[in-house]
Amino acid sequence: MSAPGRPQALMPEPLGGEGNPLSAPGRPQAPMPEPLAGEGTPVRAAAHPGFARYLAPVRLEEALEAMARPGGATVLAGGTDLMLQLGIGRVRPAATLLNIRHVEGLEAIGDEGGELVVGTLVPVSTLLADPRVALHAPLLVLAARRFASEQIRNAATVGGNVCNASPAGDLATPLLALGAAVTLARLDGGKVRTRRLPVDGFFTGPGRTQRAADELLLALHVPKAPAGAVQRFYKGGTREGLDISSISIALAARRGDGGALHEVRLALGAVAPTPMRSPGAERLLEGVVPSAERCAAAARAAADDARPIDDVRASAWYRRELLRNMTERMLADVCA
Amino acid sequence: MSAPDPLPAPPPEVAIAFTLNGVRQRASVGMGASLLELLRDGMGLTGTKYGCGEGECGACTVLVDGRSVASCLMFAVDADGRSVTTIEGLAHDPRGAALREAFVAHGAVQCGFCTPGMVVQAAQLLQRCPQPDAAQASQAIEGNLCRCTGYRKIVDAIVAAGQSLGGPAAGGPR
Amino acid sequence: MNDTRDAAWASGAVAAPASLIGQRITKLDAPEKASGKTRYLHDIDVPGQLHAAILRSTKVHARIVHIDTSAARALPGVHAVITADDVPDQRPIGVARDHLPLKRGLVRSTRDEIAAVAAESEALARQALSAIVVQYEELPVVTDAEAALAADAPRVHPPIAGARPGAPVGLAGRADNVAMRFDYTHGDLAAAEAASDLVVEDSFSLHYVTHCCMGVSGVIAEFDARGNLLLHSNTQVPFLHKREFAEFLGMDPGRVRIVQPPIGGGFGSKLDIYPFEVICVFLARATGRPVKMVFTREEEFLASPTRQPVRLTLRSGCTRDGRLTFRSVRTLHDNGAYTSWGATTPFVMMQTFSSLYRVPACDYHTLAVYTHNPYAGSFRGYGNLQATFAVEQHMDRLADGLGIDPLEFRLMNAQAPGEVSGQGMVFRSCGFQDCLRIAGERSGYAEKRRRHAAQRHDGAVVRRGVGMASMLHVGGGAKIYPSDGCGTILKLDDFGHVTLITGASEIGQGSETVLAQLVCEELGLPISAVTVVNNDTDITPWDVGVHASRTTFIAGNSAIGAARKARDKIVAAAAPRFDCAPGELGLAAGHLVRLSSGERLTDLPRFLRSLHFAEHAELVMTTHYYEPPSVHQDKGFKGDVSAAYAWATQVVEVEVDTATGVVRLLQVTGSHDVGRVLNRLGIEGQIEGGIVMGQGYALTEELQVVDGKVRNPNFRDYKLVTAPEIPLMDISFVETMDGEGPQGAKGVGEAPAICIAAAVANAIENATGVRITSLPFTPERVYRALHGRLPPVPPVPPLAPAGPA
Repeated sequence: MSAPGRPQALMPEPLGGEGNPLSAPGRPQAPMPEPLAGEGTPVRAAAHPGFARYLAPVRLEEALEAMARPGGATVLAGGTDLMLQLGIGRVRPAATLLNIRHVEGLEAIGDEGGELVVGTLVPVSTLLADPRVALHAPLLVLAARRFASEQIRNAATVGGNVCNASPAGDLATPLLALGAAVTLARLDGGKVRTRRLPVDGFFTGPGRTQRAADELLLALHVPKAPAGAVQRFYKGGTREGLDISSISIALAARRGDGGALHEVRLALGAVAPTPMRSPGAERLLEGVVPSAERCAAAARAAADDARPIDDVRASAWYRRELLRNMTERMLADVCA
Repeated sequence: MSAPDPLPAPPPEVAIAFTLNGVRQRASVGMGASLLELLRDGMGLTGTKYGCGEGECGACTVLVDGRSVASCLMFAVDADGRSVTTIEGLAHDPRGAALREAFVAHGAVQCGFCTPGMVVQAAQLLQRCPQPDAAQASQAIEGNLCRCTGYRKIVDAIVAAGQSLGGPAAGGPR
Repeated sequence: MNDTRDAAWASGAVAAPASLIGQRITKLDAPEKASGKTRYLHDIDVPGQLHAAILRSTKVHARIVHIDTSAARALPGVHAVITADDVPDQRPIGVARDHLPLKRGLVRSTRDEIAAVAAESEALARQALSAIVVQYEELPVVTDAEAALAADAPRVHPPIAGARPGAPVGLAGRADNVAMRFDYTHGDLAAAEAASDLVVEDSFSLHYVTHCCMGVSGVIAEFDARGNLLLHSNTQVPFLHKREFAEFLGMDPGRVRIVQPPIGGGFGSKLDIYPFEVICVFLARATGRPVKMVFTREEEFLASPTRQPVRLTLRSGCTRDGRLTFRSVRTLHDNGAYTSWGATTPFVMMQTFSSLYRVPACDYHTLAVYTHNPYAGSFRGYGNLQATFAVEQHMDRLADGLGIDPLEFRLMNAQAPGEVSGQGMVFRSCGFQDCLRIAGERSGYAEKRRRHAAQRHDGAVVRRGVGMASMLHVGGGAKIYPSDGCGTILKLDDFGHVTLITGASEIGQGSETVLAQLVCEELGLPISAVTVVNNDTDITPWDVGVHASRTTFIAGNSAIGAARKARDKIVAAAAPRFDCAPGELGLAAGHLVRLSSGERLTDLPRFLRSLHFAEHAELVMTTHYYEPPSVHQDKGFKGDVSAAYAWATQVVEVEVDTATGVVRLLQVTGSHDVGRVLNRLGIEGQIEGGIVMGQGYALTEELQVVDGKVRNPNFRDYKLVTAPEIPLMDISFVETMDGEGPQGAKGVGEAPAICIAAAVANAIENATGVRITSLPFTPERVYRALHGRLPPVPPVPPLAPAGPA
């Protein structure tokens, strides 16, 4: 038996090269020198990203001091976003890798009267498990359920997700709808100074927030759901989890006696550079018992307010269509 | 003439101490290294797999302080002071044993590459939900990709393992 | 599970052991895999090894003006940096010999390998890559097969000056962009078309997807002190690999050894030789050290072969009483920059066009055209998914056009045992009609289809539909190489333990377990008595490889042959001792038994020892090479190319949310003609896995290649199906007991993936009235289709007739 090699002769030989004269190749351009290293294999950078030192402080002051030092600090909380972003070069390492997971007091959920205070280090999985969140901010539970996978939820922190400021904003969109706020801290003259900012306006662009480089997000303040609270969440995609949103929609409102909706906040994700609210839709829904026509109009207004782009996940046209249809479906469910 | 060394000196490594599969360990790790690299290259435990390096496939799942995480996304320095359990560490765990037996018996293993991640994730599920139904088992492994089995037998195995643990001899497989 | 049965047999508690055939046999290597103990290629480190990394082009089409590796070479820990200049005598690889491992002068796609590094660690190797400086001169790009046919299109492999006459394309270039063409015909097409009462024509578009094996690609190459090459490789075709490597490297094939560590998935991705493997051999040669390379997942997406994308125009006809008359097909294949097995998918596609259902006349023309896109390889189903997608949509269209129930229409045209297809395939065992009937009944297809269609205008936003599709695929190998055979060596030791040495590779599909099962059935031994050796070309006999769903059939028959020879040897030696004829003796439950009474005469291990330690010592060692009785196709592609053929029918039920375009696959009812169920556990696993792979192809997976670049080289944006998304699966088997198959079995590895997309297309049409002829059915595309905003698929242009031979 002869050693087999290439397939039998029955397979047609690739067509021969004789005959057609070669037509002129494309116009050669001037050579494009690429003196910078780095072009070539688009693989992740080696695992020495250039931190000069590592700190894992227990005291908040020490953490803030590292962030204020020249050269700054890259904050490590859950690490789920940071590892990826370092790998693809979207984050350049600062002088210090600052692990804040040992700083005291950042992983609690506190009940403070009218609001829940969620420490920055609270993992997303805790949002799912904690009965106070289920009771007072069910919208966060709805969103957390659709957040990545359990492995990611167990590590990803709420503070990390908010500071990451993805336009898809899996937690940012519901926080926007809930009218939440953030507390930021920095060292000023050796003392810890904090300031509180509403989430509405906190996101300034894809991956950008109002947080200064030397500020640490300490906690989220989530207003407790009032009596008659209506909270809904929708995330586009084929899967329950592990889906970067093509769009997300978060609704929070209070249904008064008589059924009218008040304090309506409708937040949209992945349809603009940052999570955004739809003033047009909110205006149409505020203070009324929405009819089917009103719901449809509000849905159209939301689609009009949105500013989606075409990207690898979805086209702008589809995002608008989906947004309109799902807002209408959500409102129909609310009014049912 | 000697060429200047174009690379800066590698950054200092960080000493960590942690518990790995029940045994106290010390290690010296690069700041940017992942827990996955530490386990596979540093500690020689190859049961945990590199599948994607992006936390999307679940092949690198380990337990840290009892919770499942994607070890490819966890910084090795962050293992300091914590307790890590890999697939190897489930060798004597009753949940691990029940899952192994069920995975074998139900045909839940084909190429087997996803299997360690599946077993670790399922072990965590059984910890908090001792007798999951198929929907719960399915949900729990939504972050674990498999290309061979179509998942059905994996779900069957997880449900069966839970059942076998939850019998009269609770807490032990046999 | 197996242990209990074994113990019962050994103790004599069970008098007549149940046959192993059809049982649920657990996979031999499952306990090891479930413990995390299995060492895959990624987990193997060879002493002294270096790590390799490859610099790949970021340009789609460019001249390499200059590569400066001096900085990279100077880095500490770097042992070698090579470019094409360092291997001036490298030979082109691949199906069409058009693929130089290290690209010289020209890059033709963004994965092109232009330099490679061997260093002390993977991190150092990748650092060294970033120190390599490349100057490119960008050239015009062609990323569409039709555009590449134009006379003024850039040539992907322009002729190379100074090449010797007759040199392969990789060294000589070529004058045009046509990589391959196929032309097939049977019957009288013109007459058949004239006789048709209904003719439908559609164009279809099938997209790029990729294998996504959970274990990424890798290799370890090492030369020993005598210059022999050892490759640790996950190839599915070790013996072809061995010979091809020897050819490319100018070595004697006897000095190339391939060992196969356990594989993290194959699915056809490892049937060709790829540049990275050859490059690692170059590096091993250059450094004198073993060289290991493992891809990153991103690299796996960027640099692996894809499934063959296809543009397809199909015209089908039938008579008014429901008989198919003809199919006329043209397909255009984007060959990418280099030729791999994707270009040969027409071999399989023509089987479906010509022979899935009774087709009196068929013609099929296709071109594979070079572009600057990624190239396609072999992928489970090998063109059949694409062909079935078109054929089965037309079965629905024709039936609906005639007003005949589509299941009845299919049954009217489905072949029966004994028929010979237009392509010359002889359907000895054929369960096609049973598959149709059973899948139809179990799913309630006919009634549901009518009901869903009738409700189409009731205004519901979320709609349901059912769809049916069948498939035909080879089930007894495919004689495309000089031999389609497999060798087995079998030995029985002094303790009744069997070592089964087979050429057939285990790629996770459970072949080792089925082979053990078949051997134990012959020898009357428990599964625990077998060790399978299947992963070293220095030890195992030849097998052509794991493809074409052939392994159970061909390796199975080979193993049975060796086992029967062993049994015959044993009973022949035993007969005189028990004063009877050999034909009166058999092996069962670990004993020699008198067949007529079942009386146990002696236990087998004891008898084996008595043979061994006798005056004329005899060890029981046998060999068998099985060549299936199939034939090579003739120049017109006609012939009985497989020893058996397999069918399946799948009925799917979907739910379409017309407000989002999301299609949920609710249930798959499948009926498979498998000849005979051997390992019930294993075959279910294959089918379930294949269904979900088909689901991904239909609904969620899309490798987005835009202007020659892969836009989504990661799992975040390339969506595999996850556990919560799988359908309910009702799988049944039709056991047609193939006369040639091992215990009557036929191959099934590819079958379950093949018809899902077609069935889903038909189901979406049932639910919504909209027929979508391009994949995938992602939410946005379905939504667009429902709103008339999905661009229609343009027809394949007429393909110029082949020139004189």
